[in-house]
Amino acid sequence: MATKRSTWEKITWTWRPASEREAGDSIVRNFLLHWFPAKVTRESLSWSYSFWLGTITAVLFFILTVTGVVLMFLYVPSVERAYLSVKDLEYTVSFGWFLRGLHRISAHLMVAVVFLHMVRVFLTGAYKNGAAFNQNRPLNWIVGVALLLATLLLSFTGYLLPWDQLAFWAITVGTNIASAAPVVGDAIRFVLLGGNTIEQGTLIRFYVLHCFFLPLLVIVLFSYHMWRVRKDGGLACVDRLALEQKREKSPPIKSKTYSLLGVASGMTVHVETSLVDEDKHAVQSSPNLTRRLFLVTMLTTAAASVLTLIFRAPLEEAANPAVTPNPAKAPWYFLWLQELVTDTTFTIAGFTINGALVGGIIIPGLLVAAALAWPYFDKSTVRSVGVWFAKERRKQNLIFLLIVLAILILTVIGTYLRGPYWNFYWPWESWPEAPRRF
Amino acid sequence: MRNRKSLLERFRGKSETGQERLDRIKAEILAEDAETPSGKTSRRSFLSKLGIGATLAAIAGQTYAFLRSLKPNVLYEEPQRFKVGAPDLFGEGGKFLEDKRLFVFRQGKTFYAISASCTHLGCTVKMQKLNQPKKVKVRGREFEEQHEFHCPCHGSKYYGDGTNYAGPAPRSLDYFKLEVSPEDGQLIVDMSQRVGQDFRLTV
Repeated sequence: MATKRSTWEKITWTWRPASEREAGDSIVRNFLLHWFPAKVTRESLSWSYSFWLGTITAVLFFILTVTGVVLMFLYVPSVERAYLSVKDLEYTVSFGWFLRGLHRISAHLMVAVVFLHMVRVFLTGAYKNGAAFNQNRPLNWIVGVALLLATLLLSFTGYLLPWDQLAFWAITVGTNIASAAPVVGDAIRFVLLGGNTIEQGTLIRFYVLHCFFLPLLVIVLFSYHMWRVRKDGGLACVDRLALEQKREKSPPIKSKTYSLLGVASGMTVHVETSLVDEDKHAVQSSPNLTRRLFLVTMLTTAAASVLTLIFRAPLEEAANPAVTPNPAKAPWYFLWLQELVTDTTFTIAGFTINGALVGGIIIPGLLVAAALAWPYFDKSTVRSVGVWFAKERRKQNLIFLLIVLAILILTVIGTYLRGPYWNFYWPWESWPEAPRRF
Repeated sequence: MRNRKSLLERFRGKSETGQERLDRIKAEILAEDAETPSGKTSRRSFLSKLGIGATLAAIAGQTYAFLRSLKPNVLYEEPQRFKVGAPDLFGEGGKFLEDKRLFVFRQGKTFYAISASCTHLGCTVKMQKLNQPKKVKVRGREFEEQHEFHCPCHGSKYYGDGTNYAGPAPRSLDYFKLEVSPEDGQLIVDMSQRVGQDFRLTV
């Protein structure tokens, strides 16, 4: 193969590797791809196992970073100018409406897709360790929960920045829930807002959290998340393949033993070659993984762009602390909490249950704690690792799905079925003429 | 269970190794190229070029939109053309308008405006009244000056007509166009229009 490559072929050689060696090289030697394995199982690449939800999340985060950086050039985080600069974005800046719309849509999608990713991982039992050496999938699940919370906070802090009525009152409702926490609640709200009211201090805090601290946190956690996936031997479905392989009584897996000349403690280090028979189950990452990665990136970007064209970002009147819109709603992904707060506020025998505490702090707190701890309580066997709806895990999957369903139902009620004074209205019922200003 | 079994069967069927797969794809491409008459593009390469082209066009489009948004369409700066008051408000000699960084001079019925922005690096020059009039010769023209402009930053010096004679300043101070407003008779300075040193507005 001494034929001379054209410039085009030189640029695109990694997309059309001519040998296994070239295919491997193109992954390992590429800065953007070096964190992927040179070979990857077909099952990991399948659309129907993972739905590529994690990848879609990463692509959305990338879109948010790019649009976010451009928006930072155009947005002014001051109480006097914030609303006007967003208004300018919407009406006078070339493509400003698209930039803002794409950022907003991607943020909403990211919250949704991260959640779906979590649901997928739970239902496939992918947070469980398989048969391989040195796995710590439960830890990666915990990192994942942290990433979900970071995503929610990112979206929440971004919600205030347009400084319109929608933003102002959503953050008012959201931060008042935080103040219901026992003992430290008021202190948390005071620090978060930088005072007692949502003012310039709050805006700059949310801005810095939104543009610097939380993205940095997500990047660090995401890097660790991906590193762990590699250390844990890839997606959990690979463990299942390995298990099936054992039952097939295939020849034992080759493994090497390297002596470290006594440099490291212990005499030898076992290098676990991949658990599955590579020739049979795995394909080269280039172009099999890279092609799909590219496709997912393109489709996600295209979908987000099209949605941006369909759903224009709203911009209400400038924030006015004297005028409360009725009803005042939190961002949609917190509406199940707001609904829960209402539903858990009731009086028995003259004693009033504080809904903000029960529904806003205790229940979500318990849910997060349960999510963090669950991998350590799940005692199902290694056979249900990386399997959709494993028989062994039927009961816990059912409970998990019920919780998910409850959250979805509460979200729908809070979003579509709550009118003035948080009264219940069916979609076909018209809201009464409530006094808009008071 | 069903799922697991069908998977196994799927993988049993596909038993080619990675190298075999690459070879097969390469053979397919070569076969298709061989079928395509020379000078014509095969369907495979046409589609791949179309895909890459569309991707690049999409990236270029988004990049253009993002970059274009950074070029302002609306400015909130102070207007470059503004009123400075009725001519009667200006006494004989020069008056410094601090917020506009501008000198407006009156000599009888004639007016002219000189920028206070040093032509070196933009510091505000100071008008220095001279204790006794000084005779200077600028570009063959001799005149008697009552004041000079001195820049506090790097020591540039200008004669009374704004011509630079010392320090790092590369050229003389700017003269701006003066007009009389047809509505109320006020003087209008247009800082976007530079004029020559001979410019005089007669009211």
